[in-house]
Amino acid sequence: MRPPETESRPGTRLRRAPPRVKLLAALVLVAATTLLPRRLGPAYLVPAAVLGGLWLASRMPLLYALRRLLVAQTFILGIALLSLFSPSARPGFPAAVSKSNLCILALLVLGWTTPFPELLQALRRLRLPSVMLTTLALMYRYLPVLAEEARRMQRARASRTFSRNRRLAWQNLGAILGGLFVRTADRAERIYLAMCARGWK
Amino acid sequence: MHLPDGFLDAKTALLSTAAAAAGVGLALRQARTTLEPRQMPMLGLAAAFVFAAQMLNFPVGGGTSGHLLGGVLTAILLGPAAAVLVMTCVLIVQCLVFNDGGLLALGANVFNMAIVNVCGGYFVFRLLKRLARMENRRATVFAAAFAGWFGTVLASMTCAGQLALSDQSPWSVAFPAMVLAHILIGVGEGLATGLITMAVLRARPQLLAGTGGSAGALGAGFLGYGLLVALGLVVFVAPFASPWPDGLETAAKALGFAGQATPPLIKGPVSDYRLPFISSMAAATAVAGVIGALLAFIGAYGLARFLAPGLDAAKKDAPSGN
Amino acid sequence: MNTGVRSAECGVRSAESVRSAECSLRTPHSALRTPGGVPALEVCELSYSYAPGRVALEQVSFSVAPDECIGVLGPNGAGKSTLLLHLNGLLPERLPLAPNIRVAGQPLRAGTLDLIRQRVGLLFQDPEDQLISASVFEDVAFGPRQLGICGPDLQGLVERCLRQVGLAGFDGREPHRLSHGEKRRVCLAGVLACGPSVLVLDEPSSGLDPRGRREFKALLRRLPGAKLIATHDLELVVDLCSRVLILDQGRLVAEGPTLELLANEQLMLAHGLEKPHSLLHHHPHL
Repeated sequence: MRPPETESRPGTRLRRAPPRVKLLAALVLVAATTLLPRRLGPAYLVPAAVLGGLWLASRMPLLYALRRLLVAQTFILGIALLSLFSPSARPGFPAAVSKSNLCILALLVLGWTTPFPELLQALRRLRLPSVMLTTLALMYRYLPVLAEEARRMQRARASRTFSRNRRLAWQNLGAILGGLFVRTADRAERIYLAMCARGWK
Repeated sequence: MHLPDGFLDAKTALLSTAAAAAGVGLALRQARTTLEPRQMPMLGLAAAFVFAAQMLNFPVGGGTSGHLLGGVLTAILLGPAAAVLVMTCVLIVQCLVFNDGGLLALGANVFNMAIVNVCGGYFVFRLLKRLARMENRRATVFAAAFAGWFGTVLASMTCAGQLALSDQSPWSVAFPAMVLAHILIGVGEGLATGLITMAVLRARPQLLAGTGGSAGALGAGFLGYGLLVALGLVVFVAPFASPWPDGLETAAKALGFAGQATPPLIKGPVSDYRLPFISSMAAATAVAGVIGALLAFIGAYGLARFLAPGLDAAKKDAPSGN
Repeated sequence: MNTGVRSAECGVRSAESVRSAECSLRTPHSALRTPGGVPALEVCELSYSYAPGRVALEQVSFSVAPDECIGVLGPNGAGKSTLLLHLNGLLPERLPLAPNIRVAGQPLRAGTLDLIRQRVGLLFQDPEDQLISASVFEDVAFGPRQLGICGPDLQGLVERCLRQVGLAGFDGREPHRLSHGEKRRVCLAGVLACGPSVLVLDEPSSGLDPRGRREFKALLRRLPGAKLIATHDLELVVDLCSRVLILDQGRLVAEGPTLELLANEQLMLAHGLEKPHSLLHHHPHL
């Protein structure tokens, strides 16, 4: 799954809102939703309405949201199903599923209206330790680079693989990831030098 | 094992978040003292690496594929403190960008996958490596493979405990379901951890050298992690494991709670599931756990002993295609 | 000829006056811009080994005048990249007490490291390793932020540098969506934003398509100040550099005017190089 492409999106008011506000609002919404009672009831309509409104305001495409929600159902149902196995927990099943979906909707709206670099700014304002901020920033920057490198290595291997042997597939994966780690370590070294060359301490 | 929002109740979420914050705080302090500036960019790149590795499909069989978690692998390659930080960052991005794992559940997810998994797995890795009566590199691969499996199973236990503590699912169901599933899933994790460790050992053994001495097995940091993991097990697992679940059920029945539950939607065998099955499920899980551990042990040993040619101290390159 | 073209373009241009103004803002050294005065860069008997027995550089000595453009040639493994890393103070890990390198008269030692590092801008071979931030703006701003520039000054500086490399309006772009040539130019903008007086470039034209190469060459030609270019691209050297250094196995084996050295076919072949195409066939634009 690729992260949402945020460059070419309609500039709604939500999109322009300060990222720290959006992050905290998402937190509040999620907290409020989780505190709802364990039975489905009219109280659930409140966060549903709020989120519906936010969804409209953010102009998030229906298909996009539904697709992500669908993928999320696998995790949600996987855990919620556990409660079906006992009568005492069973009535809570629809409530749990609803709560989960509402919370995911909140995060979807957040993700749609806030590109990751802005989320990082929000986290910086919220005093996340600088080690983690640097790590998050570099991770976001170099994930596509590493993914591309892994793909290239996989293609090179595949061009010389002539059997469908599963053991070979596992060994290949191990070798590719091992090789990718070594290259990553080398790249990290070069990045360190490049950062120092521009005055980083 | 990423818990979405809406399943944990307030107290469990708070407890887990507090424990997670403690663990991450400990890791930050350790990183500040032991990590050289030269290694700082590596944290970010390692996080990207874990992410990239998680995206690759591992062929499990029958057309399904599994994915790597990577916590124990990262600990072996970078040391436990760095691994805690890296996995925490991976989990943050997974939550905020990919909606994999809830926002309020982040604390629990970090505790399970970035602390219990990483530290528990790493501890077992160091222990096995020291105890294994094999040549150094083979011992590393063996320890890595088993530790990968072990860390996954351990994390699933605290996860199940959190669900049970939240009354989301009774312990008698959550524990067997999660742990049994992860006993199987952990095999892939262990295998991947072992294979990747082996590949790195072949290509650039110096990259693992740092985790040997300087990680300080009995240093204050390590002791701290051990305490946290133990605490997690005590809080999330022990309350359910020690009195047998059927004991809890009979107590509830005697106190009249069980009778108040709404009648089950599906009658018959499912309602009979409760009493006679429960204690045997718990026992069955325990037995499965022991068997799984033995099998994982043997598998890891086999991986190191027979599938790792050319890892011997002799400096020549491995002739096989890897 | 080369010198003719260069002197025509070394007149004052708006970008240059901006840069020189910034240089003087941060340091009182005016000797930096004095032509014919102190050399912009001086290397004196520089030696380096990665490990006992693995000699990378052996007694390398040369100097670069302000506004001079020097090419550094040599086969792979000759020590070019190692030399470049020394110029910025990235190597050796512990600077020697007796400095081998001087930048505008200032010796490179532990106390002057920060200053020298700002004076010598190093452009790395792979732009992917140098473009570390999530947006073009953040990356170009990385260097000046370390120097304490912020707010509207920073904004203006970043915009000027991007315009200087021909990427005006690219502030908000994400690095991994840029072409190789654009990435390289962003890296150059990021280096220029630190206000260096000497530009050191490691393989600046590698991986560029012919148009990208032409554009980058034109861009380099417009930049004032001393330049040191390590490259395999002999045509680039013929076009931009007045002097050339040839390294082989860590030793400086030849030094002299570009056309003279590059036309010496025996010398070139002896050190893993060759006579460039444009000299072989006496192209009319020379």
